[in-house]
Amino acid sequence: MKRTLTALFTGAFALLVLSQAALAIPAFARKYGANCSQCHVAFPKLNDWGQRFRDNGYQVPGQQGSEKTAFETAIPVAFRTNAGYSLYGTGGQTASGFHIYGLDLLSAGVLHKNISYLFVYTPRIDEPAADYNGPAAGDNPAQLAAIESAAVVFSNIIRDKLNIRIGRFEPGFQLLSSKRLYYILQPYEIYGFAGTHSSFDFSASQIGIEATGRFKPGLKYALGYINGTGANPDNNRWNDVYLALSKTFGRGEGQSAGQRIGVFGYLGWQPTTFVDPIVSPGGDINGKDNRNFYRIGGDISLNWHTFNLQGMGFYAVDDRDFNDLDPALDYKFWGGVVQLDWAGLPNNRLVGSLMFNWVRPPGYDDVHKVDAYSALVRYYLGSWSAVNIAIHAEFTHRVAGTIGPVREDLVTILLDFDF
Amino acid sequence: MRRIVLFAALLVGLLAAAAGTASILAGQKAPPITQVGVQVLGPQRLGPLPPVVHPPGNPPSSAKIQLGKELYFDPRLSADGTISCATCHDPALGWSDKGPTSEGIHGQFGGRRAPPVSNAAYSPLQFWDGRSPSLEDQAKGPIQNPIEMGNTHEAMIQTVSAIGAYQSEFKAVFGTGPITVDQVADAIAAFERTVVTTDSRFDRYARGDHNALTKLEKEGLEIFNGKAHCTGCHWGPYFSDGRFHNLGLPPKDPKNPDVGRYAVTKDHRDMGAFKTPTVRDAARRPPYLHDGSEKTLESLIDFYDKGGGKGPNLDPLMVPLGLARHEKAALVAFIKSLDSLNPEVADVKAPALRDLPH
Ligand code: HEC
Ligand code: HEC
Repeated sequence: MKRTLTALFTGAFALLVLSQAALAIPAFARKYGANCSQCHVAFPKLNDWGQRFRDNGYQVPGQQGSEKTAFETAIPVAFRTNAGYSLYGTGGQTASGFHIYGLDLLSAGVLHKNISYLFVYTPRIDEPAADYNGPAAGDNPAQLAAIESAAVVFSNIIRDKLNIRIGRFEPGFQLLSSKRLYYILQPYEIYGFAGTHSSFDFSASQIGIEATGRFKPGLKYALGYINGTGANPDNNRWNDVYLALSKTFGRGEGQSAGQRIGVFGYLGWQPTTFVDPIVSPGGDINGKDNRNFYRIGGDISLNWHTFNLQGMGFYAVDDRDFNDLDPALDYKFWGGVVQLDWAGLPNNRLVGSLMFNWVRPPGYDDVHKVDAYSALVRYYLGSWSAVNIAIHAEFTHRVAGTIGPVREDLVTILLDFDF
Repeated sequence: MRRIVLFAALLVGLLAAAAGTASILAGQKAPPITQVGVQVLGPQRLGPLPPVVHPPGNPPSSAKIQLGKELYFDPRLSADGTISCATCHDPALGWSDKGPTSEGIHGQFGGRRAPPVSNAAYSPLQFWDGRSPSLEDQAKGPIQNPIEMGNTHEAMIQTVSAIGAYQSEFKAVFGTGPITVDQVADAIAAFERTVVTTDSRFDRYARGDHNALTKLEKEGLEIFNGKAHCTGCHWGPYFSDGRFHNLGLPPKDPKNPDVGRYAVTKDHRDMGAFKTPTVRDAARRPPYLHDGSEKTLESLIDFYDKGGGKGPNLDPLMVPLGLARHEKAALVAFIKSLDSLNPEVADVKAPALRDLPH
């Protein structure tokens, strides 16, 4: 394991040396000589400008065709990592320590007019280490090695009405982005939740193809056709489909201005038996006895000055075959999140947020009910285009289960580095 | 685990290869943009202006620049001897005029505001709609524009040729032969290329003098280049992308709106789009925008803060900014730090008629 880390660090170091001028600058900010707040309300949450830039295939809206390509600029590489101190408490017991919470290597840019790419690699972070003999003994890494994203975007195929994304990408129904969430330790709980026997993860980036576009006035859609297995090879003949629609009222994209509402639906199939001798070179198997599941929900984002109130919720039904608790019943649940963000100080150097997550499993499931109350403060040390560092403090009080609920408190103070 | 090591090695290799390609391609010139011909969107930092490029057809000389300066300030180029270039591009008013639109010959008003002549040398295309490709070409326009100087080129040449001192100056600069409109334009353009900002408090800061800007101005710079997205259009040393955008200004005369860049390209996307002006020296030349509709920097920033005006062709880069009062003040302070400290921009006295050639 040490060897892996050494290799990674050598790799990272080599990258830094290689990229010289590129060193220490998030790829896009460097390209345009701007600071992060050009596209982010505050890193990593996108503002309206950044949202339009993303929707336009990482090209400045209205300026496609005049972008420098990734070959004409310094290599567009960026890193994000965070390290800090956590204090955890449950049932009167506490534990604490310093940790590295994540490391992303990102590269993104324009390849040709209206063709661009985004690549995000997360190396595995073994924490606790693999040779550690405690409870998890390294089986529970802080981060899995994965190609988080590797997508090519073909933009403006029919003006802004049709753009195509192919590869692994963040699906368009995640208008409340689990990737660009201020919170580093507290996820959107409902995204990651599924029937007791299902491996589906609503928050995962998915492999497949997606069409997106916008219509006046302020109507946007995303239509996808994907494996539904996250980073893993496909496990059945059926692919999953989704459709998300949103409408913005007023100016902006609903990120930092304008008011936005959206609805989405996801229909997927997962095998319940995997006995099949055929495994493709890509690792795909043809799992049998596919059962379906669906999610249907909506989201809202309201803006007032630099306050942003977001809400999202969905209702989910996983086929009874995914239900270990009562195989006679479909596993039905719902949940959501309400999040209030605020930005202050010049150039949004200070961010505060309150968030409430809830998950409501069926009544007979007495372990999966979740109520999580979170709060966060982030202060950005600078607004340089070269590097951004935020001091981040996050607190969550989480109650899970109904009978003898587990109460947990987690306080984390960390530095979020982006360069 | 071996897979990870392999992947890391691969990644490094790939990126190294990309680095190689990037450095090879860096030497190659980027393809020109259709219609506009300005730099591609690449690293476009705000910073000091590079030296002015003089076109090969019009090399400068001190005699030519001096002649151009005299012609620029000479009202005798107009039909009735009352209007010079400086009437509408007055050094004391930031090389523009009091606005909102310009008053030309016989008290006539045009529909557009006079853009600054200072630093116009860096603009790839001249006029609000970019209809003129160079300062040389541009300078011929106002003389025979019926509502500006109201003259004809022939009459102007006659007037100039009849002035003894001009005769010898033109001879010294352009050699013998009759004075031509092109020579007049060349001389004025050569002069205009000297009205450039090499020094401002911002430029001093950009060159490394950390105390050249106040705390508020530094905040303003950060916001200009961040939350307010100003650099989305006002980028690079010239603080302009040289492109055309529709900011959604309401037309003064809805029946006969100013179509802007559309008049040149006939491309519907250019309807109501105007050239991004430089922000350098903006504090010296209120009111603002092509129709002079914003009276102060403060009101202009309020306009941007709202997300601009309205209209079907509003530029997609216009979004509400959510600026706090303090942030607006910081932006204004920063814009003021762009005021030129060069005497040839900031401190030019228009010569009196009797001091011009006779
Ligand atoms: C009556 C006022 C008036 C006079 C006199 C005048 N101009 Fe202008 N000038 C304008 C206006 C108004 C515009 C913008 C017109 C447009 O864009 O359609 C302009 C545009 C320009 C521009 C383009 C700047 C840019 O950034 O696009 C230059 C350069 C210029 N004038 C130089 C001159 C010169 C040189 C003279 C003298 C020969 C002159 N002007 C005389 C009013 C005037
Ligand atoms: C979408 C591109 C765009 C953005 C973003 C933008 N501008 Fe402008 N700016 C323009 C254009 C185009 C004009 C001229 C528009 C017109 O007259 O119709 C202009 C005009 C101006 C002027 C007036 C200059 C003059 O001589 O009249 C100033 C000052 C200015 N902008 C400052 C700013 C500031 C400060 C910001 C950020 C808050 C900003 N701009 C954002 C494109 C932009």
